[in-house]
Amino acid sequence: MTLEELRDRMKAARVEIAENRLELVRRLLTDALRPIHAMDSRKHRTLEPAVTFDAGRPRGDHGQ
Amino acid sequence: MASDELSYATIRDIGARLRRRALSPVELTRALLERIERLDPRLHAFVTVTADRALADAKAAEAALGRGDISSPLLGIPVGYKDIYATRGILTTGGSALLADWIPTEDATCVTRLQRAGAVMLGKLITHEFAFGIQFPGHRFAAAKNPWDLERMPGGSSSGSGAALAAGLAFGALGSDTGGSIRGPASFCGITGLKPTYGRCSRAGVLTLSWTLDHTGPMARTVEDCAYLLQALAGHDAADPASSREPVPDYVAPLSRGVRGLRVGVPREYFFEGIDPEVEKGFEQALATLRQLGAALEDVQIPSIQAAGAYTAILLAEAFAYHEHDLREHPERFGEILRERMLAGALITASEYVQAQRLRTQLRADMNAVLRRVDVLATPTSPKTAPTFTTVYDPEYGFPRGNTGPFNMTGLPALALPCGFTAAGLPLSIQITGRPFDEATILRVGHTYEQATSWRTRHPNL
Repeated sequence: MTLEELRDRMKAARVEIAENRLELVRRLLTDALRPIHAMDSRKHRTLEPAVTFDAGRPRGDHGQ
Repeated sequence: MASDELSYATIRDIGARLRRRALSPVELTRALLERIERLDPRLHAFVTVTADRALADAKAAEAALGRGDISSPLLGIPVGYKDIYATRGILTTGGSALLADWIPTEDATCVTRLQRAGAVMLGKLITHEFAFGIQFPGHRFAAAKNPWDLERMPGGSSSGSGAALAAGLAFGALGSDTGGSIRGPASFCGITGLKPTYGRCSRAGVLTLSWTLDHTGPMARTVEDCAYLLQALAGHDAADPASSREPVPDYVAPLSRGVRGLRVGVPREYFFEGIDPEVEKGFEQALATLRQLGAALEDVQIPSIQAAGAYTAILLAEAFAYHEHDLREHPERFGEILRERMLAGALITASEYVQAQRLRTQLRADMNAVLRRVDVLATPTSPKTAPTFTTVYDPEYGFPRGNTGPFNMTGLPALALPCGFTAAGLPLSIQITGRPFDEATILRVGHTYEQATSWRTRHPNL
């Protein structure tokens, strides 16, 4: 992620971050998004986001 | 004044003395309150010391013991609660200026359960700001210090819980763990911390950082003490939408069954990146001990382990979503570093968040597949030892990658316990991870290793 892209995202999200901290935020986001940007979503069509785990599932079923 | 021998006793030992009336809960509580008064001005583990409440709890425990009530192993045991757990009528700050004057009207479920089990509430333990930031100099709440070296961090965000236990200021504590906030302080402070399976312990009444990553759990000085605390905490809670109905087994009785024949998988990829040589050496020695105890060790591969880095995207996006209103309306009430981290969550797109959750699904499937072949996984808890405050206060200090986040992604139970010390005397830690809701096995592995070593008997020179 470039600083220019970071600024574009800040504008779209209506947030302000001090200029002297932008590089740190850029690094934080670059690291966080690296595996996501490396992912070829076409190869993972069967993957559904799993934001719930076993709440409410029958006994012994852990969603494996 | 509490002697070190008394202050560093285990819940098991103290409980036995209380039940045979060789020690009074009131006498014990007074001794700990005196120790807190003497040591905590240097450690800053406590935000609030609830001395009157502690003595009232202790007197109630004494009365119960007098009636012959010996059913709870936690009766009369002094504990502390991380200050993101709501406590009725008691200041609950979240380590934040935003909540500096908040007095909840209800207890968090975990607090209720420990109090019902007879625990004595010593007070509230400092947390990193909203369990995510760091208390920089000038913050309203001072940062807790590491009892092993006051120039170093105790880890976080359950910083006060780790520091208090290492300093012998409490016998147990509650922590919370979104990416390692129980296990990190356990690692840096030379104590034991358990992040149970997602849904095993209630989050109701606990300040949210990231809904799908947040876990609550116990911290103590031994594995067995964590088992006693978990026994009281675990179980369904209708007030927590993610709470599981999985039955709660006996966590204490199986501890002594040993590890002979158990299969321990060691994932080398990811967990050894950037590791300190002393951390690696301590970990390998711990593996050798497990092998001597009869465990079968094998290296294992988790194919999608590098996807674990997507954990940060989920954390940032959910933290921003939770705090968005206050971040936009009262940004000045957040510490600068915390504010920047949370605002970074606003910059993650909806698609990126969903893709991160899809990677999480893959990681869960891969870890579960490995855990069908082995009983537990073992890794170093942290690739580094406790950093100095000078290091983390450096404006260039980033968001460190750890070995704990992958198990928040997958929701699997993970235990951190001491496995040695560096030449400079800093604690080392091993992390044992197990199958969903199989806390009993990781506690058994941890207890067996712990009983074969003497790390738990070392204490900081205060």
